[in-house]
Order: sequence, then structure tokens, then C-alpha cells
Amino acid sequence: MKFRKTMVAGTTIALAGVLAACGSNSASSNGSSITRMESDVISTMDPSTNTDAISGQALIDTMDGLYRYSGKDLKPAIAKSQPTVSKDGKTYTFKLRNAKWSNGDPVTAQDFVFGWRRTVTPKTKSEYAYLFSGVKNADDITAGKKAASTLGVTAVNKTTLKVTLDHAIPYFKTMLVNPAFFPQNEKFVNKAGKKYGTTSKYILSNGPYVLKDWNGTGNTWKETKNKTYWNAKNVHIDTLNGQVVKDPQTALNLYQSKKLDIAQLSGEQAAKAKTMSDYKGLNQSAIFYLELNEKKVPIFKNTKIRQAVSAAINRTEYIKKVLNDSSIAANNVTPEGLFTKGGQDFSKTASKTDASATKYDPAKAKKLWTEGLKETGQSAPTLELLSDDTTQGKRSAEYLQSTLQQNLPGLKVTIASVPFKTRLSRAQNGQFDMVYSGWSADFPDAISFLDLFTSDNSYNDGKWSNAEYDALIKQSKTTDANNPTARWNTLLKAQEILTKEQGVVPLYQRVQATLQRKTITGLKYNPTSSYDFVNAKVK
Amino acid sequence: MAKYILKRIGFLLLTLFLVATITFFLMKLLPGTPFNNPKIPADQLAILKKQYGLDKPVWMQYLTYMAGITHGDFGMSYQYPGQTVSGLIVSRMGPSLQIGAQAMVVGTLAGIVLGAIAAIRKNTWVDATATIFAILGRSIPNFVFAALLQLFAYKTGAFPVALWGGFTYSILPTIALAIAPLAQTARFMRTEMVDVLSSDYIELARSKGESRWQVVAKHALRNSMIPIVTIIGPMAVDLMVGSLVVENIFAIPGIGEQFVKSITTNDYPVIMALAILYSAMLTVIILIVDILYGFIDPRIRLSGEAN
Amino acid sequence: MATTKLSPDAFKHVKVNTAEQERIAKPALTFSQDAMRRLKKNKAALISLWVLIIIAVISILSLWLSPSNPNKQNLNYSNLPPKWPGVDLPGLNGYLNGQNKYAGMGKNVYYLLGTDYLGRDLLSRIMVGTRVSLFIGIVATFFDLTIGVFYGIISGWRGGMTDTLMQRVIEIISSVPNLVVVILMLQVFKPGMTSIILAIALTGWVTMARLIRAQTLQLKDQEFVLAARTLGESSVKIAFKHLIPNLSSIIIIQTMFTIPTAIFFEAFLSYIGIGLPAPTASLGTLLSDGQKNLQVLPYQLLYPAIVIVVLMLAFNLLADGLRDAFDPRSEH
Repeated sequence: MKFRKTMVAGTTIALAGVLAACGSNSASSNGSSITRMESDVISTMDPSTNTDAISGQALIDTMDGLYRYSGKDLKPAIAKSQPTVSKDGKTYTFKLRNAKWSNGDPVTAQDFVFGWRRTVTPKTKSEYAYLFSGVKNADDITAGKKAASTLGVTAVNKTTLKVTLDHAIPYFKTMLVNPAFFPQNEKFVNKAGKKYGTTSKYILSNGPYVLKDWNGTGNTWKETKNKTYWNAKNVHIDTLNGQVVKDPQTALNLYQSKKLDIAQLSGEQAAKAKTMSDYKGLNQSAIFYLELNEKKVPIFKNTKIRQAVSAAINRTEYIKKVLNDSSIAANNVTPEGLFTKGGQDFSKTASKTDASATKYDPAKAKKLWTEGLKETGQSAPTLELLSDDTTQGKRSAEYLQSTLQQNLPGLKVTIASVPFKTRLSRAQNGQFDMVYSGWSADFPDAISFLDLFTSDNSYNDGKWSNAEYDALIKQSKTTDANNPTARWNTLLKAQEILTKEQGVVPLYQRVQATLQRKTITGLKYNPTSSYDFVNAKVK
Repeated sequence: MAKYILKRIGFLLLTLFLVATITFFLMKLLPGTPFNNPKIPADQLAILKKQYGLDKPVWMQYLTYMAGITHGDFGMSYQYPGQTVSGLIVSRMGPSLQIGAQAMVVGTLAGIVLGAIAAIRKNTWVDATATIFAILGRSIPNFVFAALLQLFAYKTGAFPVALWGGFTYSILPTIALAIAPLAQTARFMRTEMVDVLSSDYIELARSKGESRWQVVAKHALRNSMIPIVTIIGPMAVDLMVGSLVVENIFAIPGIGEQFVKSITTNDYPVIMALAILYSAMLTVIILIVDILYGFIDPRIRLSGEAN
Repeated sequence: MATTKLSPDAFKHVKVNTAEQERIAKPALTFSQDAMRRLKKNKAALISLWVLIIIAVISILSLWLSPSNPNKQNLNYSNLPPKWPGVDLPGLNGYLNGQNKYAGMGKNVYYLLGTDYLGRDLLSRIMVGTRVSLFIGIVATFFDLTIGVFYGIISGWRGGMTDTLMQRVIEIISSVPNLVVVILMLQVFKPGMTSIILAIALTGWVTMARLIRAQTLQLKDQEFVLAARTLGESSVKIAFKHLIPNLSSIIIIQTMFTIPTAIFFEAFLSYIGIGLPAPTASLGTLLSDGQKNLQVLPYQLLYPAIVIVVLMLAFNLLADGLRDAFDPRSEH
């Protein structure tokens, strides 16, 4: 009968699926290999259109730009040595080393020119084109006013690259580790066309590894050692397997069943991981903070009110009990380990003078709050706290709600947890009273954080405004641009004002709770929150 | 018959058109942009929007989109730059279909057996146990059940804890997903079977001296199974919902978990394509069920409505 | 063979008692009384009914008699396992993985069902959560039912073109996967209980409408309706006086099936992260929080899971019982 036939058909489909799945599962295990967990898939391997950290990691594994981070050290990579910089800081000349693409072509200065022009061309739809702002003509090109060929980058010859800037950019070198500044092989890119960077077949690498078995959207991939890499002798692990796992419980289970060698954890799993000897906390260049909407809630214009909010939060307890990982209580908005000068850490130096502003002090909070309310002539309000709807976001909001209500008499806080993009959109349109948000660095320099809180920055959601602060930030970009020491001091002064005024209430710097096999050695973590697998070994 | 099917297919297309339209306009109300880099400055954002045609009025975007899908062009994903939406769906469809099909087959077969046994041993402890079991299956949220299965796998080592590859990896996800159709079928089967067993032709068969099991095998089972075809549609919907959870917990590279992600990231073309795909699957299943039903049970006339 | 004649004496005249003739040996039962009688015979359904009543009463009483404030945080007491003072049973003595988590906290600190990550009393949260979940389930079902009943009655009663059109609409709506609509709606509107209830109700009424329509079509041709029509009663009056009472059994049964479905769906939404906003507890949020810690802190999943399973079992068994009671044909 017909009915039975459909049943059989159903089973056949199922079985066909099973067989197909069996076929693809042939693991080859010669040489050393490790499997690392990623929280999401690689979305693209096109350096121009990449935006996320996971694709970024895969790009760093498979590509080399002019520079490469090895831990905190910024080392020349395709650049042979430090560039010659003109006196006004506007012209950089790079000498390139003898490097090869994985198809045997040499990596030339022209590859950089092509890659950079491609990124700023509006048609490429790069979401990082704005990073080129400052390179000559970049802004006009992205706005469609000039041709991409006018970009301030030229190949003097095969091994010499010249970059011209509109104005001096003190942190220009650190920006070059962003994949948007990687070289791209014109012949290959044009041949691949629209498919460039969408599967392992349409990728050309010049880095330590080449990507294999990646179908463009899959949950697994493999990175194998690139024999044509110029520094191949320092690449010791033959294969890096990538595996997407989203559920933290599953991640912990897989790690303990030895299916993963590196796993990131959160929540109670992170707390559990902290008790294990394989635990590692990875400092990320990401800061989370509370923005207070001065435009919508006038009392937030009062400095005492903002200071009261900050003093009402017990950051240490919050991190230990709510976040459960080893995140660092933030005294200011610049992450630790991000920006250093002569062995001095910017954030830590700033903390020496500004730590009192973020110290938990309920009595002080109460005092400031009542004084502030008196000064503004307002009664204690009911405020909405906007946060992400992630576990972390919800829990943080719950904690902040409770602690603010407890320590600031009369204040009532309600919570709105919304998806990330909704939060962004509402924060930018000023549709919030308080918002729990975060920022991670595009490049490791204090300016990528301090710039946010100038009066006219589109990401200054709270609309805090301070003329002296604005002037200092401007000074750091102009007068002090070619004087690292003066610039450092100016930024430090700006940071002090921001913290003292609590124009933004810093909460914590994210430290990623990670489990990593003890057999893996020499693996370094960069200020751009990614691993460098060169020099890493596995027993 | 052919006319009926044609009519139904026409209706199906109309349905899909309406689904696409409603989803499109609802989707455009989602706050935020489809871009992935949260740090784009305002002026650059305007440039990007123009490049994607997002600066045009919504109705114009709608027309462009609809014109595209009539040519089979579902657009490009925002989350996966460079990937076509159809490519994305095709590459992640396999595991979802496999688990879905396995769960459907296992769930209905086990449900039929359980329901039949309960009906034959009506009002005994067997019946009570089977009923409780079936209801329990409906009482535990699938994310809890899947997590328990994973715990079991972790403690015993009998099955892979998660991940994908090979048949053994699909066993636990299939069980986690099959529990809902199992419970539903068992319950339905029992009621039908009790009805059938008390009907005249069964009495007749019994009086002709056929044994109890002969009667069950030859008449009752077959006739009770027919109406189960009608609940396949709703069960397929449950499986879609369930796959979302199961794929997440067992880290399976399927399409279900993509759905929520595409909505929260405003990946417009993917939202549209998945909404249309889900509706299409559902309507096609309903259509097939209806046609099948006509074949199995000649009393149902396809051309006319029940009234 | 001699034939014995029956003597007339052997027969006695029976007097017909007119009063006795009309007496009904069993008490007359209305339909609902009859149903109740049958329901009472079904032990599982009866127990379920009582379980539901008890759960509902406890969860409502928790408005005033909660052991502690369900949203009160105490980070010093976070993630404590259950402890019953004076009870030394594993799982209830404050030990987790062989460690006394209450060490050094004083004698008066104990939580019967433990605490969560913010040190909130789990017992109080489960009570509130049950109330919230029941509320969502019942209110969503109520909307669901109202739309469904009216739609079904109008469609079935009017018949003809109206019916055809309305049925087409239903077919279209039922082929839109409700997952798509619900998730989109929850993103577009302000997240919260109202949106969740609306989303569930707006996508769930179709089944009810279908059942009601089918039943209305049957009732339409019955004598009492025809009689009412002949007597010139208005359609609205007929609907309220004759149709709805006769549809009540199907409505009640369907309600009993819809409430648990709604509760379940809320739990699912919480799991995928678009459920109720914090800090409101519901069974869904408690379960999805607990699920994340199943291996580390199993008690956080166990107790909410027990509550939802008992609730689901009770609703389903009661619904089964009601169906059997209202529909004698399908009696076991």
C-alpha cells in the first residue's frame, strides 16, 4: 500500500543522509594537531569584508600583513624591517621580504596596493573601510568622490611600499595587523570573483597555515601548515582543527572528553573551569561600561549623580559572583595590556590617580546621590536599564538593578534586555536611560577608547560633553601626533578627566575564561584578542 | 484529481506569496542595521546602506526582492559576506533534514507500537505505563531532555557527547527530537485503536475464529494507522521548533539554529528565505498528506469539501 | 399425557400506579452533571485536578506568603545547594560534591531549595515562576479561545462564501510557521509578558477555530437550533444561548490542551533567549538558567523541572479525563 511505501522512502532518505555523513568523517591524524573551539562559524575569509573575531582569527592564522603580533610584541612580518617614516609622520616606506603565496606567486608591494584599494572601494562593501580614514584620499574614495587608484599607497617597486597619509597617525603601525590591511593577490581575487573567500577553494594564503575542508558555512574546518610560508620553520603544530560549539555546557563536556584542546567557557562553567589546572584567563581588549543618558535624564548631567552611580557598584563582587570569570575590575575605559610605553601600562598608570572614582563605597554613593538630587532639585527617578539579552547581559543588568536600588535611596530601576542590534540601535538613537554596553579595540591604542567620549562622536551614547576633554583629545591627534611622550601625557590627562567626571561608568575588562591543554606550549595571545600560533608547540 | 492538485498548488503559491509579503514588512520593522561591525561611523553607515539599496523606500526594496525571487535569486547573506542565501541554506540543510527524518520515522513507528500495545492491553498496567510514558514525553521541555541525554552520554561514554559526523553522532539528537512525535503518535494511536477494536468488523473477524493477534495484525493496526497521517503536518512543525534547540545543544551544523541568529542579526535575505522555506515545507507536507489520505482512505473525496 | 390446566388463581391482577409509572429510578442528570459523574470515576483526572488546584493556590498565595523576596539578591549566598535544617540526607544537607557550601554561614542560613547565581531563594522563585507561567498560559489561552470561538462560530454559522473565505484565511495562517511570526513579533515589539502572550495567542487560535467550526456545522442542522431559528431568534442570540453552551465541552477540553502548550512555548522562548525580561522568574527562565548548569549545579534544574513535569502531567491527564467524560463514545 501507498502508506508503507512512503515510510520506506522516508527511511531511505534518512539512511542516505547517514551514509553521506559517514563518508565525510575521515580524520587523518599524522603529525601534531590540536582542536580549538570557536563560539561561532567563520563567516568569510575575504580580508576586506571580514568583521568578526572568529573569521579574524582564521585570517591571522592563514595570512600575514606587514606586521604580526606575537603576544604583546608587534613584529615586522611581510615588512622586512621597521619602515622609514618622514619627519612630519605622513609618509611610510616599507621594505618587503621575500614571501610567497600558497600557490607559489611572490607577495609583492602591488598585492598590498590592490588589497587596500579593494577595501576602500565602496562596491566591495567593506565594513572596515573607515579604518583607512587618514590614508590620503581614503575618505573621498569611500564616499564615492574619487577613484580607488588615488589612494595614498603605491608600489615603488616589487619590494617597496610607500604609504602617504593626510595627517600623522601615531598608531598607524598597530592598525596594520587588521586583516583589512592584508595583501591580496589580484590575479587570484579577480579569477575567484564573487566567490573570493567563501570556501577553502577560493582562498589564497601567505600565512602560517592554509584553510582546508571549509565549505563556507560549516561548523568545522581544518588549518594545515603552509609549507611556502616564509617563517615555516617556526610553525610547529601541523594541523589546527576548528570546531564551533555554542553551548558552554557542551563545550565543557567536549573538553573533558578530550574532543577539544582549547575551549572558551562562560557562566558557571567558567567558575568550574577556574578550579581546574588547565584554566587560563585571556585578557581581552574589551571594556564594558554603563552609559548614562544626559539628554533624556537631566539629573545625569550632575557630576555627583554620575559619581554616586559608580560608587554604588561593587565591581569585585560583581565579577566574582555574577560573571564568574577572572575579568578585571575596570577603573577607567582603557583596557590593561593594550597600550604601553616603555614598559608602562597606560591603564595601570591612569589607575594610580583615578582608582577612588570607581571604588565601592555605599556611604559615599548615598551622600553624593542625595547631594546631587538636591542640587538638581529633582526627586529620585525610575530609570530603565538597557542591556543585551545574552546570559551575561541579563545577569549584569539584574545585578546592577539590585545594587543601584539598594545603595541609591529612592531610585527604582527596570530592566529591558534586547538583542545586540536592537540595543545598539536604541543606544544610538538615545532611547534609553542607562545602557550596559561594551567596546573592543580596532587597534591597540588608548585613543580607540578615549575617542568615543568626545562630544561629537556618534558612539558617545550618553552625550557627556567636556570642552577640556575634547581639546585634549584633539591635541593628541595634532600637536602631539609626532611626539609619543607628549601624546601619552595628554591622553593620560584626558583619561583622568573622564574618570573623575564619570562621563562613563567603567565596569570591567573582559577576561576570557579558557581551558587549554598543558601539552600546548608557546601559544601567545595578542592585544587584538586573537592567538598567534607561530612558535606554538604541542607535545 | 489532477485538477485538484493543480488548484492546491496554485493556492500554495498564493500562500507563499502572502507569507513572503508579511514577513518582509514585519522584518523591516526590526530595529538596527544588518551590518556586523558595530563600530561603523555614521557617514560610512550611510554609504554602506546605499551600496545595499537599503536607503530606498521599503516598498521599493520589497518589489526588488520579489522580482529577485521569481528568478530564484534569494540574495546575498549579510552575516556571511559573499555567500548566496541559497548556497548557505543548501550547505546547512543536510544535518537538519537527516535528524528531522530520522526523528519522524523513529517517533511515529515507536509511537504506533506503544499506542497499539496500550490499546490492546486497555485498562491494564501496561496501558497505564504506556500512557504515562507518552504524557511524560510531552511534559519535559526538549532542551531539558536533550541536556539530560548529553549528561547520560558524558557519564557513560556510550555515545558522542556532541558534534557531527557519522551515524552514531545522530543517535542522541534523534532521540531528543523523536520524543515529541512519539508521545503524540502513541496517544493518537491508542484512541484510534480502541475505537477500531470495538467496531463491528473486528467483532466479525473475531467471531470467525481469528485469534486476537491475527485480528490486530490484519485489520486493526492498518485501520488505526490511517488517521495518523493527518497529524504528520503539525508534527513536522514541532520538529522545526525542536531542531533549533537540539542543534544548539549538540553543536550540529544545521539550519535550525541559523534561524534565530538571522533574525537577531537582521540578516534580511536569510530571514526571508527561511520563512519561505519553512512555509513551503509545511504546505507541501500538508498537501502530500491530503493526497495520501485520499489514496489510503477512499471514503475521503478530494474534490469536495467535507461540508 | 394429561394436560394440566392453569388455574386462574395463579394469576394476580396488577394495579397500575400512575405515580409509580412516571418515577425515574435514577436521578435525572444534566449533561454537565453526567460529565462530572464520569470525571469523578476517573481517578487520574481527579487527582490531577486537585494537584492543579493546589499548585495554583500555592503560587497565588506566594504573592503574600513567599518565604522570601524572589528578586532579593545576596551575592554572599549565591549558588547554594538546598539545605533543610536538621535533615542529613544527601541533596538536602547543604553539601555539593562533598563540600559543605554553607560552612561558616551561621545556623540560621538555610534555603530549602537552594539559591541561584545571584543568591536569590530558589523556592520563592519557583513559586513566582509557576504563577507567571500559569498566568501566561491561561491568559494566552483565553485570547486564543476568544478569537477561535468567534471565528469558528461565524465561519460555521454563516456558511457559504463567508465560510470558504474564512477557511482559506485559516489555511494560509496555519501554513505560516508560528515560530517565524512569534520570533519576529517579539523582536519588533517591546519584549515582555504582553508581547509573549499576544504572540502565542495570535498564532495559536487556529486549531480552536477549526474545531469550533466543525462542531457548529453539526449543531446548525439540529432541531433545537432550527426551532430557535423558526421562532425568529437573532443569530447573535442563538450563538450565545444555544451554540456556545453546546460547544462548551469542546472549548473546555481544548483549553486544557492549550494551556500546557503555551507554558511550554514560553519555556522554549526563554531558552532561545527571547523570553521574559529579567529579573522576572517564570518556569521557562528558571529551566533555561538551570539547564546551563545541569552538571555543575543540578538542583537548579531539578526542582523547576519537577514542577513543570507535574504541571504538564496534571493538565494532560485532566484533559484526557475531561474528553472521556464529555464524550461518552470514546470512553475506555
